[in-house]
Amino acid sequence: MLLPLLVRPSLCYPPASLLLTQCVRTLRCDAGRTLHSQTEHFLRRRLPLRFQSRGTKSRSRTTRGQEEDWKTRNKTALTYIAAAGVGMIGLSYAAVPLYRLYCQASGLGGTAVAGHDTDLVESMKPVKERVLKITFNADTHASMQWNFRPQQTEIFVVPGETALAFYRAKNPTDKPIIGISTYNVVPFEAGQYFNKIQCFCFEEQRLNPHEEVDMPVFFYIDPEFDEDPRMARVNTITLSYTFFEAKEGQSVPLPGYSYN
Amino acid sequence: MSTAMNFGSKTFKPRPPDKGSFPLDHFGECKDFKEKFMKCLRDNSFDNSQCRLQSKDYLECRMEHQLMAKEPLEKLGFRDLVDPPPSQADNNTKP
Repeated sequence: MLLPLLVRPSLCYPPASLLLTQCVRTLRCDAGRTLHSQTEHFLRRRLPLRFQSRGTKSRSRTTRGQEEDWKTRNKTALTYIAAAGVGMIGLSYAAVPLYRLYCQASGLGGTAVAGHDTDLVESMKPVKERVLKITFNADTHASMQWNFRPQQTEIFVVPGETALAFYRAKNPTDKPIIGISTYNVVPFEAGQYFNKIQCFCFEEQRLNPHEEVDMPVFFYIDPEFDEDPRMARVNTITLSYTFFEAKEGQSVPLPGYSYN
Repeated sequence: MSTAMNFGSKTFKPRPPDKGSFPLDHFGECKDFKEKFMKCLRDNSFDNSQCRLQSKDYLECRMEHQLMAKEPLEKLGFRDLVDPPPSQADNNTKP
């Protein structure tokens, strides 16, 4: 009775010879019919087992093949995904200079229009139909003791034509004062078209005691101003200069929050 | 001036002048030309197009007195004032 129990578990993966010997042993035992039937049963079971084993073997073969197939497919998928990830990271790094180039080319975002050179000044044609009023403003820092004012409150120019304007500065004190100036243009978008050929800003200017000088600004408005749809309603541009006192070791504080 | 509270908006970035800074005319060498230019402006209701000859004279004075780097006037946008145009009809437009 125990034998079948013993034999059955081992029936799963036994070699054929082992099965035969086990069957013979069972035949030798005094099981008689039951044994015979059991051997028949074993035999019957053997075949399906063989089939089963074949089936598992073949199934394992196919699964192994399938598994390998899946493995290779997974590998290729993973490599593609990894490549895409690396590509995305590289793209995000490359986007910075590319965006800058695009902005320069299209002039969006208030970036300076590239290509301000003397050839443009030489070859530009004034747009006579578009008359713009340039108003002038002069400021000094609170601690700056110069008298600084524009010599004309406004001037009418057209884009593409160079223009000259004057400011006057006087040092009423008894000691020389060195000043340095910066400027601002409103409206903001029009400032991109405002080009100064020569002026008196960003460099230290020294005024002796009780000295008064004329400070010229030589500028032009880019002729492309007339073609910009955003500038269609802009007729007044204000140029504002601010003088600061230059002290040793200090740099010009730019107005606003952008300290470049 | 750029308004103080616009942290996210674009700020004005001053650009240095193309040809740098004018040296100061401490001795008033070109003051006469400047006065002529200002007078012209006042007479023409501050129309720059009418006073370009005077501005050209002022810049030439500056160049003569070493107050400005010498440059051909065409590069300063005075091409129409330097070269007499071939036809009288083109007197007002740049060639």
